[in-house]
Amino acid sequence: MPDDDAMDRLLRMALAAEIPELSPGFDARVLRRVRPRRLTPRGQAVLALYALVAAAASVWLMRDLPVAFIAAAVTACAGVAAATSAYGRRLVIDG
Amino acid sequence: MLADRPDAWLVERCRDGDEDAFAELVRRYRTPVFRLAVSILGQEFAPEAEDVAQDALLRVHQAIRSFRGEAAFGSWVYRIAFNHAVNVKARSRYRAPHVGDEVLASTPASARGPHDRFEDERRRRAVHACIGELPEVYQAALRLHYWLDTSVSEIALMLDAPENTVKSYLHRARRLLHVMLKERGFDAR
Repeated sequence: MPDDDAMDRLLRMALAAEIPELSPGFDARVLRRVRPRRLTPRGQAVLALYALVAAAASVWLMRDLPVAFIAAAVTACAGVAAATSAYGRRLVIDG
Repeated sequence: MLADRPDAWLVERCRDGDEDAFAELVRRYRTPVFRLAVSILGQEFAPEAEDVAQDALLRVHQAIRSFRGEAAFGSWVYRIAFNHAVNVKARSRYRAPHVGDEVLASTPASARGPHDRFEDERRRRAVHACIGELPEVYQAALRLHYWLDTSVSEIALMLDAPENTVKSYLHRARRLLHVMLKERGFDAR
């Protein structure tokens, strides 16, 4: 069809441009993002120390409260911590 | 050699946390995924298309355990990339940047006269504007075919459509463009 051929030529002319290429570091960037992030031994030690201090402070602060309240607080906090951690991991992966 | 292994084998290894297997899948799909992304976003948005390709491959990695193998792995990857690119385009409202007359005037001289060059540029801009008004799959098919020199069979894989459907997309897109250009006072010659 003459119209189709003319449109074919026009599109080739109008869309003629350099074909873009991916930048050289593309693969490395993708693979770095999927690699699981691990804390350094120093980071792990700091985190463990923080957890111990936080647990000790919580026990001391709640020493006069009823056991049922402490159990409820621990359950709620554990849930919030798990959800926050999962959300944080997703943020790291999604960027 | 990972390069000789089929996609399904690499996917299984990825599920077990094999980074080398995923690296091989990235190597296989990075270019078509990038081209699919740039065909959706448009010619001026190659850097953004690279980001889309990267995000799409990360989503593939994240969701690889949910891939059931009902369709070809490539189709699944392209669908993720297509949907992500369309979403990014809708969110960012990508538009071709305005090209001022001063840029037009500084276009290198050719054997043709300035009037012809001006007319060619006007027609080229009109074509780009009309393409931008077509449905996303038509835009992608046109850019993949006419700009990125992708074969109909490859486009069919990328758009997860039979080859005849892709031919029909291209045919209908040309027809629509013809009408749209005519309405703007251009002919296809």
